[in-house]
Amino acid sequence: MHYLLRRLGFYLIAAWASLTLNFVIPRLAPGDPASAMFARFEGRVQPEAMEALRAAFGFTDAPLHQQYFTYLKHLLTGDLGLSYAYYPSRVSEVIGTGLVWTLGLAGCAVIISFAVGCLLGVFAAWNRGGWLDSVAAPAFAFLGAFPYFWLAMLALYLFGFGLGWFPLRHAYSHDLEPGLSFTFAADVVRHAVLPAASIVVATLGGWMLGMRNTMVATLGTDTLRLAHAKGLPPRQVMFRYAARNALLPNVTSFGMALGFVLSGSLLTEIVFSYPGTGYLLILAVRNQDYPLMQGLFLVITLAVLAANFAVDMLCLWLDPRTRAHA
Amino acid sequence: MLDSIRRLLRHRKAAVGGSILLFFLVLALVGPWLVMDPSDLVGRPHQPPSSAHLFGTTGQGQDVLAQTVVGARETLAVGFAVGLLVTLVGALIGVTAGYLGRRVDDALSLTTNVFLVIPGLPLAIVLGAYLPSGPLRMVAVLTVAGWAWNARVFRAEALSLRNRDFVAAALVTGESRARIIARELLPNMASLLGSSFIGNTLYAVGAQVGLEFLGLGDVGSVTWGTNLYWASNDAALLTRSWWIFVPTGVCIALVGFSLTLLSSAIDELTNPALKAPPAVAPITPVVTAAQAEPQAPGVLLSVRELCIDYATERGPSRVVDNVSFDIAPGEVFGLAGESGSGKSTIGFGLLRLLPPAARISQGRILFNGTDVTALDANALRAFRWSQVSMVFQSAMSALNPVLTLGEQFHDTLAAHGRASRTASYARARELLAMVGLSPELVNAWPHQLSGGMRQRVGIALALALEPKLVVMDEPTTALDVVVQKELLQRMLELKERLGFAVLFITHDLPLLLAISHRVGVLQGGKLVEVDTSERLRAGARHPYTRLLLSSFPHLSADDAAEPPPELALAANAPAPVRTALRGGHQ
Repeated sequence: MHYLLRRLGFYLIAAWASLTLNFVIPRLAPGDPASAMFARFEGRVQPEAMEALRAAFGFTDAPLHQQYFTYLKHLLTGDLGLSYAYYPSRVSEVIGTGLVWTLGLAGCAVIISFAVGCLLGVFAAWNRGGWLDSVAAPAFAFLGAFPYFWLAMLALYLFGFGLGWFPLRHAYSHDLEPGLSFTFAADVVRHAVLPAASIVVATLGGWMLGMRNTMVATLGTDTLRLAHAKGLPPRQVMFRYAARNALLPNVTSFGMALGFVLSGSLLTEIVFSYPGTGYLLILAVRNQDYPLMQGLFLVITLAVLAANFAVDMLCLWLDPRTRAHA
Repeated sequence: MLDSIRRLLRHRKAAVGGSILLFFLVLALVGPWLVMDPSDLVGRPHQPPSSAHLFGTTGQGQDVLAQTVVGARETLAVGFAVGLLVTLVGALIGVTAGYLGRRVDDALSLTTNVFLVIPGLPLAIVLGAYLPSGPLRMVAVLTVAGWAWNARVFRAEALSLRNRDFVAAALVTGESRARIIARELLPNMASLLGSSFIGNTLYAVGAQVGLEFLGLGDVGSVTWGTNLYWASNDAALLTRSWWIFVPTGVCIALVGFSLTLLSSAIDELTNPALKAPPAVAPITPVVTAAQAEPQAPGVLLSVRELCIDYATERGPSRVVDNVSFDIAPGEVFGLAGESGSGKSTIGFGLLRLLPPAARISQGRILFNGTDVTALDANALRAFRWSQVSMVFQSAMSALNPVLTLGEQFHDTLAAHGRASRTASYARARELLAMVGLSPELVNAWPHQLSGGMRQRVGIALALALEPKLVVMDEPTTALDVVVQKELLQRMLELKERLGFAVLFITHDLPLLLAISHRVGVLQGGKLVEVDTSERLRAGARHPYTRLLLSSFPHLSADDAAEPPPELALAANAPAPVRTALRGGHQ
């Protein structure tokens, strides 16, 4: 319990740090980006509403610490301001729907990629020098060197435009009414296959190599020698002794790589015009929609922190030694 | 340093990676003078590759080849600049934290860890959106978003270096902290700096391309990222113009792959375990008359003319050379020798548990009439543990840390066709009690036990299937003297009760003479002397045996004003243990 509380404390600090960064960056920037930002609202907003808007973002003439508290107060009530690109929608609403799509797509892709990658790594290390180790591993490493979004472009070009197997864009067909029907679910899956597959292909090699290397190290330990000495069946030695122990450091690095992988998958969404947070990010950048950009930064960061906390709990469950310190 | 660079050049991965990278560096340097201006509108848009435009034209009618070649320059320049900057910033923060420790470390580590969990791309976007455009913005944004990982790696390295002798020496001579960090610590991290620089450049190229693809770069300049940005904006996919985005992507991947190859080459050179072991050359064993002879009655184990080779870069190296000995049922046979004499290799060889690089090249191992060297995989698995089991030097690292003791007993019993889980646990309790541990420990994890307790678990596990021979490979070396004696005593009692034979392996010859019926002395893989303990004690014939015996100090009553605590303990110990204590060491 102690361990979990400590981790929770750390994530709270990290969350606070990102909130503060989000507050500080626009105010430290050279020039007056805040005015530039509000200038973009001119003409779309009544002059009297303008003041309210400034106040909503905490950009007032009040001293800095007061601005900071106003900002925190707005955040605590879930108020991220108004989006420029989607005016007059609130940023929180715009992000809300996007986040669901991103979590669904990136979440599934990352978990599939990690699971398959680790499994391949286990087999590659077990049959060291076999075709999986000497052919498949370098091939995946080469694929991993491409930018995610480039692989997505290629996949879209080949299987979307070329062969016509998969839809070209969006998360579902627009002639369908979103709902809990089988047709809709099948349509969503069909739309998700290409983007998810390109994320999986881009990241698989990394997990595979990581697992392969820790597995090779584990295979040389006394634990494995004892398992063999006891006359255990090879499957059991491979999974229960070698893979189970080699998995732990990989789960930890999985947590640390999450933010990085998510960044890559955001770019993948853009290629497919997938209506997730990545697609919102590019809209925000192209329209200089600062409120949306900052809201996205916060929400994505918090999602990654939550995922990291989940990974910590997974480690706790996997490793009795961590549990002992808990 | 020069030597490690020379080794790197000989490495195949490093050579391939280095060549690819060199090609792109040359391309970035001289390429822009060889091709046409990448911004000129030289032809009709979306033209496929032709003799006039080898890679075709973009959606605006520019030459794709020129754009790809010219794009290398800024992309690589920014990539290497960010790689260098991230390495330096990370190293400085990490080393400062690791070296200064305490409050500074707490503060810096917390900052590092916070930046590590904040996803890089959204942070870079928010930062980039507020900074004035240009290549400097890219460098600044990527450095801020990417330094943390590096700082963490360097902190760990600094922590381990801090306790080394040369740093202590510098402290004694009164050098300042800043000077120690700059002059003593950083130069010793040369290889880490090198591999980090490669890794960070890899990150920088990828992140840069991603940000530019988003439109956060300077869309007017020609880089690989902006090439892809324009490809996507000018509907390269919709117009089926694969030639616009494929060349740039392949270039990015080749640069990335070359960096990955280089860093994996460095990993393999600094961590030899990752490297594939050298191939073992096949040998046809010659069965001599002595090997073919059937086992004499009353002999449990016969090792005959056993040779074990290790494959090395320079060909096979013989670590066990023509070793022959017998063990009778219930006998304690000791194997003594220095580290590297091949004694543990023989122990593992009996169970055919040699590492992949080692093999039995000659000789036979006969056990109770079976030729162990000829067993197939299934028969070998059935033979292991049920006939011959083993106690490892360190049960600390041999027990599986993620399974409870009960599970580790159960899988052993189950593998040999015995018992349900309930029955296994009952047997495990019985075995734990037998070695003097609480049966309740059946639900404990290895890390909850002390070193001595774990070694007892190791013995209990070894006896689970009531084997006829237990190989004990330095079972007491890692324990302190008092625990050592208790364990030996318990082991000898159990041997009397259950009647198994023991092959006891240790460097401690006086100890062996005290507990064994017979002892073999190994030197450089050869068995130089085998005799009964009495006769060896009375007078060893081989000079090496005599040397081994004299290298252990003997305690006598005159040596100490009062007897050390283990002597008091020995008063209740059986005779052999008492002898061991007299010949014991401190």
